Amino acid sequence: MYGWIWRHLPGNAWIKALLSLALVLIVVYVLFQYVFPWAEPLLPFNDVTVDNQ
Amino acid sequence: MKNVAATADDTQHEEHTGEDGEPVPSDARRRPGRIAMAVSFFGELLITAGLVLGLFVVYSLWWTNVVADRKADKQADKVRDGWAQQDTGPGALDTKNGIGFLHVPAMKNGEVLVEKGTSTKVLNDGVAGYYTDPAKATLPMTGKKGNFTLAAHRDGHGAKFHNIDKLKKGDPIVFETKDKWYVYKVYAVLDETSKYNVKVLAQIPKESGKTKAGHYITLTTCTPVYTSRYRYVVWGELVRVDKVDSKRTPPKELR
Repeated sequence: MYGWIWRHLPGNAWIKALLSLALVLIVVYVLFQYVFPWAEPLLPFNDVTVDNQ
Repeated sequence: MKNVAATADDTQHEEHTGEDGEPVPSDARRRPGRIAMAVSFFGELLITAGLVLGLFVVYSLWWTNVVADRKADKQADKVRDGWAQQDTGPGALDTKNGIGFLHVPAMKNGEVLVEKGTSTKVLNDGVAGYYTDPAKATLPMTGKKGNFTLAAHRDGHGAKFHNIDKLKKGDPIVFETKDKWYVYKVYAVLDETSKYNVKVLAQIPKESGKTKAGHYITLTTCTPVYTSRYRYVVWGELVRVDKVDSKRTPPKELR
């Protein structure tokens, strides 16, 4: 999978490395901004109140 | 696919064949069989999953604090600005931006803005919320006897009650409003209870040993740290109400 991405990135090794870094940053951004905020309430780590449910 | 690999390797492997499709030894080493490919793909998926889980921990324990503290500071500034202005108009109690600040010296976390409600949305802004459900909190400003019930996060999202376990009997909990300091003293701690135990929020919390109506405060959060299996409860009772002076000199418990 990662090898496939590496082979399909254009340019020489330096450009590939830069593009890979950009891809990683995009993925981290999407995770922090959208995926984790969505997933967090579904996981039982952060309920602090007492209630009837 | 084969051609891509082949051209990339031209310099090293002269003997690659052309059209016959039979893999030559050197080529076979570079492009493994289908099963090996599947296994390595699966392995990469597992590594990725591990990295994502690790990132989730970073997100929960660090990033949510950054975001929540930023929001809470902004809200707190708004409240302070509102207080600084002399005429806040009718209904001086502006419940939208928070009703006051909680100071708990034993928790060593500065001031905690208190807002209405204990929904995830409210608490995720790095504030403490007073209960409106399942039992309504009695706000100290009303002067009525009752229980001022609060909740805040233990970890992440500001983690305002992270050090709740540092609170011992006799420790002060001070609630600051526009013109009063409400000084409470901790008198009972319940270090583990069910999350369904809504009785801790009662106007007279019997589990804390009280049988008569009074001015109580109840802090709830989750325990043990990093999980939500149980709830941690701290009860305090009002000992004094100080008027806020022109310089907002804090009561001696906070000095």
